[in-house]
Amino acid sequence: MDYMMDNSQNTAPDSVNNVQSTKLSTAPRKQDTLSVTKRLQTELMQLMMSSAPGISAFPDADGNLLNWTGTITGPEGTYYDGLTFKLTFSFPNNYPYHPPTVLFKTPIYHPNVDFSGRICLDILKDKWSAVYNVQSVLLSLQSLLGEPNNASPLNGQAAELWDKDPVEYKRLMLARHRDLDEV
Amino acid sequence: MSGQRQGFRPPGTVFASSSTLPLAAASRPGVGHPPFSATGVFTSTAPQRHLNFRMPPLQTQTAEALATLQKLSNEYEPEIEGPLVGKRQSSQAITAEYQNADEIFVRKTAVLPQKYSHYRTVKGDGNCGWRAIAFSYFETLHRIGDKGRILEELTRLKSLNNLLNQAGFAEHLYEDFVQETLNLLSEIAYSLPTSSDDAGLLKAFNDPGISSAIITHFRLLTSAWMKTHVEAYQPFLLEDTVEQYCASQIEPYQVEIEHIGMNALIDALILPAGLAVEILYLDRSVGVEVNSHKFERMDASGAPLNPDAPTFRLLYRPGHYDILYKIEDVAALMSSPTNLQVAYATPVTYGTFQPVPVVPVSSDMSTYLEIPGMSTPFVPVTPSAMSPDTYTSPVSPALSTFSTTTLPLRPVGDIGGFRPSKYELEAEFHPSPMPNLPFQTPTFRNSHFNPAHFRNSDFQPEMWKPDTADSGRGHKDDSSRH
Repeated sequence: MDYMMDNSQNTAPDSVNNVQSTKLSTAPRKQDTLSVTKRLQTELMQLMMSSAPGISAFPDADGNLLNWTGTITGPEGTYYDGLTFKLTFSFPNNYPYHPPTVLFKTPIYHPNVDFSGRICLDILKDKWSAVYNVQSVLLSLQSLLGEPNNASPLNGQAAELWDKDPVEYKRLMLARHRDLDEV
Repeated sequence: MSGQRQGFRPPGTVFASSSTLPLAAASRPGVGHPPFSATGVFTSTAPQRHLNFRMPPLQTQTAEALATLQKLSNEYEPEIEGPLVGKRQSSQAITAEYQNADEIFVRKTAVLPQKYSHYRTVKGDGNCGWRAIAFSYFETLHRIGDKGRILEELTRLKSLNNLLNQAGFAEHLYEDFVQETLNLLSEIAYSLPTSSDDAGLLKAFNDPGISSAIITHFRLLTSAWMKTHVEAYQPFLLEDTVEQYCASQIEPYQVEIEHIGMNALIDALILPAGLAVEILYLDRSVGVEVNSHKFERMDASGAPLNPDAPTFRLLYRPGHYDILYKIEDVAALMSSPTNLQVAYATPVTYGTFQPVPVVPVSSDMSTYLEIPGMSTPFVPVTPSAMSPDTYTSPVSPALSTFSTTTLPLRPVGDIGGFRPSKYELEAEFHPSPMPNLPFQTPTFRNSHFNPAHFRNSDFQPEMWKPDTADSGRGHKDDSSRH
């Protein structure tokens, strides 16, 4: 076509170049949320296939993959032996570069958790890195139940009683614990 | 994947807010935090965003409210302007930036552009050192322009997954990051040799998804390298083990690279690629020039194994890295024929003609015709083929309908920009700058842009004298009063 020929004559001499750079730049342009979704799907698969004892997690029923509910079981030989705890995960759009917000839903009496369920754990804050995931967070929290960091408590009373008065600790802990269905 | 808790955050919680803040700040160098007073109440300099939060009276503040504030504070990040990786620009800008600074900086930045003609800014978001290295790695490979070499790198980086596995990273967690690096490498490889500019690379690196993934990949590589070469790095760590250091300083996103991390990254990624890095340190140390340190492969005696290894350069100012270029590097980056033409054309069009296209064609062309020599530079096409009489300009068919007297000044195509044509200048053609443009129009002769009056021996600039000005006004006032 004449028009086409005309057109090609009038293009810049570096048009080849332009074509190349567009090709180079537009190829894998992922939306942020898209890669978050992909990553969370991978994590879900991994969680369902591995059988780590005492932990589980699943996206909420609302179809939003950015909100999950997790469960951990208190490890044997700790105050929390046999109790189950529910947690909520909410993932930011720039996950996994930034950590999810994790809260205890089940009321828990623990030196590093406050009465609103907020948790003080380094890997959920400044030590978060992109290779942590839901599973490693759940495992860390599970071990936190048995080994609190009493040096930086959110619940000062619990930190004090932990070693000093196991009986009182257990009493207060059980008094606070409620299975989520009863709440 | 290590499921173990890595130790705890030092004291600091919603109940002890004053101690939390500095820690959060320390973990993100370059990121400031709103000032807090001892009670946890924002001082008046708190940023706008926080002022929207209605502050209840101090006594009634619940733990909830404090927690909300704490959360806002933890998540606060100042808006940092600019692209993740900027365009290459003249390093005169650095000199200008420091012109009012300390004398040492002034001296050092004044001589910087002589050796390092260009630089590129990298966003200071806590990843700048990582980003600067990563970008330069890709750009240098692109500059070398050897497809085979890039594909070799691709293979090498793929095989480095073994290193990641060895360090205990789970493949399903790192594969997405690695994939972005491999994608970009293969795109560069297959864009050669036609793609000669940095537009594609710049665009990829300004895409947060791609950029973050590549940086994370390189962080993990560095961590894995350090963990598998403990003996080389442990002596530099005073308190931490290599494992702890990687967990707190290398792996977390937005933690700035330190010297030891830089070393490990260069050892793992740059040197095995046959590249070398030179870091220029701009600081207040004594000297007339920036200090430099070159990282390159050396034999046992400390002599460089390959002194001619392609080298890229970073400018380090305490807490921040940018990318520097030597003149010859920039020349190499712009050496393709298409760019050569642009290099000539830009000064020609902008130096002499910029005002021309903006003038509407219908306006008084005769003004321009009065300017002798105005037409000469405008026919830069094959000067040999051009004689004044048979001036059937080959510029374009449209223009050839103009006679010599109507001057082909009409803008064709884009107004204001450089309009590329299929004609190129001959290699030897150098337009002499302003050959004979005396600009002797009446308008110009009388304007203050005409410097001719300086040549007049009797020239005396008009001077403002405060006395006369004052007395004059006073006199005037007096007279008006009378």
